[in-house]
Amino acid sequence: MHSISWHSVDHSLDECIKCNICTSYCPVSAVTDRFPGPKYVGPQAQRFRSPHQPHSPDDSVDYCSGCRVCNEVCPTGVKIAEINARARAQIVAERGLPLRNRLLGRNELLGKLGSLAPAAANLALHNPLSRLLAEKTLGIARHAPLPTWSTRGTFGDWLRRTAHRRLRSEKKVVYFHGCATMYYEPFIGQAAVAVLEHQGYEVIVPPQNCCGLPLLSNGEFPAAERYHQGNVARLAGFARAGLPIVGTSTSCTLTLKEEAPELLDREDEGTAALRQATWDIFEWLRALHEQGELRTDFQPIPSSGASLVLPYHAPCQLRAHRVGKPALEILALIPGLDLRESHARCCGIAGTYGYKTEKYQIAMDVGQELFDFVQAQGEAVPYSACDSETCRWQLEHGTGLPSRHPIEVLAAAYGLYDLEQRRLVREAQS
Amino acid sequence: MRPDLLVIGAGLAGLSAALRATQAGLRVRIIAKGLGTLHWSTGNLDLLGYLPGAPHPVRKPMEAIYTLPESHPYARLGPERIGHCLSWWQKALGAAGLAYRPATPARSNWLLPSPAGAVRPTYLATEAQAGGDLSQAEPMLIVGFQGMRDFYPHLIAENLTRQGYAARAATLSLAVITRRQDSNTLHLAQELERPGRVQELAAALRPLVRPGERVGLPAILGLERHQAIWQGLATALDAPVFEIPTLPPSVPGIRLHRALTRHLEAQGVQIQVGLTAIGFQADRGRILAVETESSARPWRHQAEGFLLATGGILGGGFNSDPQGRFWEVVFNLPLTVPQDRNAWFRPHFLAPEGHPVFRGGLAVDGCFRPVDGHGTPLYQNLWAAGNLLAHVDAIQERSVEGLAVITGMAAAEALLA
Repeated sequence: MHSISWHSVDHSLDECIKCNICTSYCPVSAVTDRFPGPKYVGPQAQRFRSPHQPHSPDDSVDYCSGCRVCNEVCPTGVKIAEINARARAQIVAERGLPLRNRLLGRNELLGKLGSLAPAAANLALHNPLSRLLAEKTLGIARHAPLPTWSTRGTFGDWLRRTAHRRLRSEKKVVYFHGCATMYYEPFIGQAAVAVLEHQGYEVIVPPQNCCGLPLLSNGEFPAAERYHQGNVARLAGFARAGLPIVGTSTSCTLTLKEEAPELLDREDEGTAALRQATWDIFEWLRALHEQGELRTDFQPIPSSGASLVLPYHAPCQLRAHRVGKPALEILALIPGLDLRESHARCCGIAGTYGYKTEKYQIAMDVGQELFDFVQAQGEAVPYSACDSETCRWQLEHGTGLPSRHPIEVLAAAYGLYDLEQRRLVREAQS
Repeated sequence: MRPDLLVIGAGLAGLSAALRATQAGLRVRIIAKGLGTLHWSTGNLDLLGYLPGAPHPVRKPMEAIYTLPESHPYARLGPERIGHCLSWWQKALGAAGLAYRPATPARSNWLLPSPAGAVRPTYLATEAQAGGDLSQAEPMLIVGFQGMRDFYPHLIAENLTRQGYAARAATLSLAVITRRQDSNTLHLAQELERPGRVQELAAALRPLVRPGERVGLPAILGLERHQAIWQGLATALDAPVFEIPTLPPSVPGIRLHRALTRHLEAQGVQIQVGLTAIGFQADRGRILAVETESSARPWRHQAEGFLLATGGILGGGFNSDPQGRFWEVVFNLPLTVPQDRNAWFRPHFLAPEGHPVFRGGLAVDGCFRPVDGHGTPLYQNLWAAGNLLAHVDAIQERSVEGLAVITGMAAAEALLA
């Protein structure tokens, strides 16, 4: 048997047959001349790049959003998005990085700082004057959907406050929350813990770093490597002990599984152990279901109509896992839930891409396909659903409709979670 | 969650097989490495365009089937079964929103202009391409766009003229369609869907067209609203308009791909691309599961039956290495390729008989199950269709789409039986 899997990024470019499918599907080149398309910037320009070359042949690589739609549709397996990410890192290594990109890459640090005084931080950042200033001085688009710090405490605060209530069990699972859950959306982590405990699992939440993806996608590879090593040091032990590590952020889990090892050329045992133990939470729940062990004591989710209509978008970062759409499969088990699957390519935001002044409009134009799909589902739709945090923020920005993580929907179907208030039912009562 | 049938490959063979099986009530799932080769196809259905070594195109393909060697998949099915498959498919595509037209007289090939100005035989033509019928006498005005890659109207017109067809060429500025600097055919098709753009194109074309002429354009006349754009342009010009297929990305092929995938998805078929098969599990002559590569661990796909439609060497169903090894990529099935690497090719690159290696492929029984050297099926629940089948050189024969549709449907019917 010929093994095609996990061949190296560089060698994969020889598989390119110039068929143009990637360029036909690239959501960025469809809306702007600044990005000529994956084929030209990826495998073609790559032939003119070498470590000793003074200049990159193609600066437009900076306009690649890294959505990986090209990889998905390529009939011959070229790792185009990774070729582009490496080319961008090469440019950053040669010419340095603007302050803005340094800031946007440091999600963990920003999260920590803002959480010292979240209400004040939200006020300081989220007012028209500071957003205008940030646009003029830093180049962060004033209308871009930046997150707000949680004013009900961080996910870590909640874990400490409710430690006595955690389920103890022989069956254990490790939870990777990521920076967004920690500082902006602790309720996602609460819903995840509730769902996992509902399956009879004890949830371990060890100290952890940012996965490093924002740094990788901004081309800051050395800093990303430090984060990655931190995660290997803190988490690989659980992996070696045979515990699954599940995450609710599709981009964090993809980075632990593949992006960091591949882009940083890390082949050490710890990296491999971490990679093999990491799961998207719905990928893991689907495996549980296939073994007949997923609880299905669902109750209809409260809604105004006969059934809850829920437009669901599988984000690019989840599709890049190549595990299908596991959230869609699990949510399909819930009675009275009318799921509508999006076939839009990308919401446009692509992590921090759409935050940048020069890329904001591109991101909105890319997302139009998805916004139109959500809006076409009717007036009575209360939410959209998507697994990725930045995509949900972009969806809310583009449609004016609240967006939910599928784990919130699942927790609500178990009767554990209030989908509207975004809090656990038990805590709302106490 | 577990489907009755897992189709591996999302090209025309896999999609046609899925269509047939779904309509018979099976729960079908499709997995594929990438989007299928329809993006490189003319969007027409080529049934049989050339016989090996013959210099002229086939005029009556159903009759020519009798002259094919008996190992050829067409010869094994026979013209009656083939005709039945094609009319079923044509009807199903009509329901999915794409109209196809057979040539007149009945059961003959169309002769249509290629993007090089050559004569191209095909069996079922899209409505918009059928207008280029070379058996009609109306002179052609072939129009291209300055700055559009890979479409040269003067080349097309000159080659057609040399072969005795009345044609002349004209060029418009690409600015008539788009303000963008760099566009491929798909982007141009989408630009033409913008309000008012067809009228602008018609206004630019009108002074060029002489009375009695028909207008040939690159196949960029819309994607979703193709029918309205094509007809709207003809009405505005008061002249027949036809499309000539382009190099990839081929918009008519993409229209066909979209129509088929949407039709299947509307019936609950999941189509997942980006999945590369890396292994399988079998027990006592039955396939249990196929495994695909993922970001961390293999993903198992269980099903009752499996249909392999991964394509030939171009589609990625086979691979080879410089040592002369040749293998089928999912189940490592035996292939009928000459053992001696020196026997793979004839001395001339464009040999009209084709090259022996391209007739190599997967040998199947009468039910489209892959067989061993003795003709015995290797697995009871594995079927195969399309360009990976042996004893046919579809590119040389110009039978790519016909082979895919007919064997895809016939394999689906065999597994339903």
